[in-house]
Amino acid sequence: MSMSPMTMARRQLLVLAAVTSALSLMLVPAVGAQDLLLTITPATISFASADPDTTPSIAAPAITVRYHVRNNDTGSWQISLLATSDLTAGTATIGINNVTWTASPAPPFQAGTLSRTLAQTLASGTGTVQGNRTGTVVFSLANSWTYNVGSYSTSVVFTLTAP
Amino acid sequence: MKHARVLVLGIAVVVLAAMQGLGAATTTGNVTVSVTVSATAKLALSGSTVTFPNADPDTSPSIAATEGAITITAKGKTSTGAAIALTILAADDLKSGTDTIAISNVTWTVSGAGFAAGTMNKTTAQTVGSWTGSGNRSGTQSYALANNWNYATGAYTATATYTLTAP
Repeated sequence: MSMSPMTMARRQLLVLAAVTSALSLMLVPAVGAQDLLLTITPATISFASADPDTTPSIAAPAITVRYHVRNNDTGSWQISLLATSDLTAGTATIGINNVTWTASPAPPFQAGTLSRTLAQTLASGTGTVQGNRTGTVVFSLANSWTYNVGSYSTSVVFTLTAP
Repeated sequence: MKHARVLVLGIAVVVLAAMQGLGAATTTGNVTVSVTVSATAKLALSGSTVTFPNADPDTSPSIAATEGAITITAKGKTSTGAAIALTILAADDLKSGTDTIAISNVTWTVSGAGFAAGTMNKTTAQTVGSWTGSGNRSGTQSYALANNWNYATGAYTATATYTLTAP
């Protein structure tokens, strides 16, 4: 079978484009994919009931955040917190902005106030964090006589992102 | 022309692939946060003694307490929409030996949201304040004794008990 020079050139170009695309699909994700680890323990914390006059701020047991960010080169990374809702007990609520946290070591960790609408930064940095690192987070609830009786709960989502 | 299309297609695929590779890597963890708020009531009075001085009933038909107004702080946690109540109940009439002055001669006025004026009673608790829902409420209570020429001389005393209820 004979081919015109034009047809051969087209085929070569098509093959070149296909090979380039395939190589790109195979290679780029492998180069760009960061290896992230984020574990939070314990998975549940409780604030003890207390007299607002003697305990204006109730601290919960400390949470340990374990993380690593590998293959990140010079890229930035961030751990953020977002509450899924206010503290809720049936129809009663306690505004999630009454929950604050302190964290160490600082940096990369920082203190803040929980939000249910805007993710708040817990920790941030740049580059690769090769070995597993840990941080400690202590949540505190601003106590108040205005809270109605009930068993309140919500979830807080920790998100590690390496752009 | 067709060659150019093929090249554009190839480059576009490469760019898309590169963009996919540069997308953010993300991982998440969850923590459940909980708190139990229990029913609690806490009452504070600025004073624990009320004294009515001796006075001429004609010029002082009503005798105000020497100590002035008592400041009341009533704090309570209760269920949503539930009532918090502050009441007072006298243990007895004012007594001096065998002489008595009926406790109903003792009245009070108040200031502050939710507080109510009233008359002392030794059989039925009287409302001093009532509120809906949890909160920290503060007000004052001023006692007065209705003066009367019929009272026998003597040093009279009685005890009254405040009760703050947050169901």
